Amino acid sequence: MKFKTQKIAYWFFASAMLLLTLQILYGFIMGFARIGWDGLHDWIPFNTARATHTNLLVVWLLAGFMGSAYYIIPEEANRELEWPRLAWVQLISLLVVGVIAIVCYHMNIWEGRKFLEIPRPLDYLVVVNVLMFLANIGVTLWRGSQHTTTSIVLYMGLLFAALLYLPGMLTLDNQTLDSFYRWWVVHLWVEGVWELIMGGILCFLLIKLTGVDREVVEKWLYIIVGLTFLSGILGTGHHYYYIGTPKYWLIVGGIFSSLEPLAFLGMAVYAVAMARKGGRKHPNRIALTWSLGCAIMSFVGAGFLGIAHTIPQVNLYTHGTLITAMHGHLAFWGAYAMIVLAMIAYTLPQLTGRKLWDTAMANWAFWTSNIGMVGMTGALAVAGITQVSLERRLGLDFLAVQKEIEMHFVGMLLAGALFTVGIGLFIVNFFRHGLPSDEAVGADVAGDAAWAGAK
Amino acid sequence: MLSKSQARAFFLGGTGLFTAAFLTLTIDTHRRIPARTHSDAITPEVVRGKRIWESNNCMGCHTLFGEGAYYAPELTKSVERRGKAFLRIFLKDPQVLYPGQRKMVKYDFTAEQIEDVIAFLDWCGKVDLNGFPAPPPLGKTVVPVAVQQRAVVPAGVEVPALFAEKTCLACHSLLGKGTPNVMLPSTTGELVAVPSLDEVYLRKTREELVTWITDPQKIKPGTPMPTLVPAVVSPAEVQQIVDFLMGLNPAARPANSPKPN
Repeated sequence: MKFKTQKIAYWFFASAMLLLTLQILYGFIMGFARIGWDGLHDWIPFNTARATHTNLLVVWLLAGFMGSAYYIIPEEANRELEWPRLAWVQLISLLVVGVIAIVCYHMNIWEGRKFLEIPRPLDYLVVVNVLMFLANIGVTLWRGSQHTTTSIVLYMGLLFAALLYLPGMLTLDNQTLDSFYRWWVVHLWVEGVWELIMGGILCFLLIKLTGVDREVVEKWLYIIVGLTFLSGILGTGHHYYYIGTPKYWLIVGGIFSSLEPLAFLGMAVYAVAMARKGGRKHPNRIALTWSLGCAIMSFVGAGFLGIAHTIPQVNLYTHGTLITAMHGHLAFWGAYAMIVLAMIAYTLPQLTGRKLWDTAMANWAFWTSNIGMVGMTGALAVAGITQVSLERRLGLDFLAVQKEIEMHFVGMLLAGALFTVGIGLFIVNFFRHGLPSDEAVGADVAGDAAWAGAK
Repeated sequence: MLSKSQARAFFLGGTGLFTAAFLTLTIDTHRRIPARTHSDAITPEVVRGKRIWESNNCMGCHTLFGEGAYYAPELTKSVERRGKAFLRIFLKDPQVLYPGQRKMVKYDFTAEQIEDVIAFLDWCGKVDLNGFPAPPPLGKTVVPVAVQQRAVVPAGVEVPALFAEKTCLACHSLLGKGTPNVMLPSTTGELVAVPSLDEVYLRKTREELVTWITDPQKIKPGTPMPTLVPAVVSPAEVQQIVDFLMGLNPAARPANSPKPN
């Protein structure tokens, strides 16, 4: 790393690892409930486990994005972070708000809209928290000696993510309108501005890891995020098929969400092409593996499995079934979890000065977690297809169908156990790096400089 | 090949254009939603029901308009499908109707809150959802022809309120009404076919029927048939139900009563 203040990124990443562990735990609670082992029902009913699972995902990814920004922005702007203490305040308050929200869920206190479950008063704290974050990196970027495309795209992604949180805070009496604006947050985050964040981070990693000229990498970044918005904005329409909104959304959503995989395909081709073009290999191989893995798995999970059920004629029967959960798991893993893990894999040696990048454990972590997640997605796919056939096509009773598909959740739990082993290895590897150190400042730990010189 | 500034122009231009298109469609959607959702029918009861729906995170298990989690049934058409009487019993104590099965939290709603939730679900069921939830396209192929051609309840036979309001018929079928071919899991896990009640008078005596309805677990431990007596159904109502079912027997009716077609 170049600057002392980049060290704060470590603590965001460490928090993300803790939250990810909890997320997996709540996933198991749900998996067991689905095979009938619901002994925790009186204390942690399914709706609590489910909201905790998805909200922890969002918070650990946001912590990962924020940590990434605290690392990338000073480096790209070529100066120290403006207010390092404020970053600490922001991290601690983020965790406090998160913990309060989870405690609320266990006490049946909710705003209770899918993905936006946190009680309304906490929404305002989130807004204050995000303003602190945006001000800190914004001023750092503004006062920096250079304004790179990578840093501006990343910043814009984070800024618009914050702005798009606001429509989720409207109180509406009409369920249709309520749902309409809820998707402005959820869809326009994950299939819109979060892709800017992902694109920005991926671009940074590709510049560092492949050695391809910045101008070339950033030019293609514009094309990719351009494709994302071209398809993703009107692609919101695939959430407006069957919620009481006009019929033209079937056509608009159908056409534009069919284009959405193109953006992800573009991202995958872009990452692989840059890695091949780079020629010489950066010593931190595992970071490049995670980066390329992210680009490819996001195409499979978000792009391919997305289009598998966004055609309106198909969605009429798959809407509101486990098919959505199947797509959700691989999409979030590929697009967002993996980019954060890629960033961690790249920055840890930089932050701590320890070169643990090509260990067997790091490689096992990558493959085990990925195979586990693909297995979970497969189990959900089989369960989902069976549910659609029996319940939606044949008209059998909901509970009877759930009994029929119980066995697939045993498969899901087994695949989940494999995934957990992978994540466990990643976390052990994380903590083996030790704490961030000032001695790593300016040192050529990742071999960036030596490698760039030899190129 | 494309230059970086051209790439930036593509990004900014495309984003601007499609944002404008999205906002235009949003305005139009806003204009059309009141008619499509019957927004004038959103009574204070419906609004209160929506708040109860949210403040208990019902979407954490159920889906509504197909949105939510996938652990519990889709509820958009629940009032139409089950009837209000069924939902009142269910919301009072969810496990009474589904003994030994996947659990729902018992929320201890007041009678007024239950009415609010039902009003909200009723309103949801009337929103124009472009054909969702779709009737199962293969459903007809598995309904036995005999059931489809059944006659209606013979004239002169009094239908007890519990039948008319679809409570029993949420799982059973009777003379072409209700739900044909339901399979429900028993507490031990195997699927049990819920029998049609059409000719139950041939299979059971009056006494057997009364004992069965009063305490099904005693006769068939693990059966998905709920124990509703005396919490929900009074012994007097059991008698009415049994009278009704036995009265469907043509042999038990006076000779001059009209025959079912």
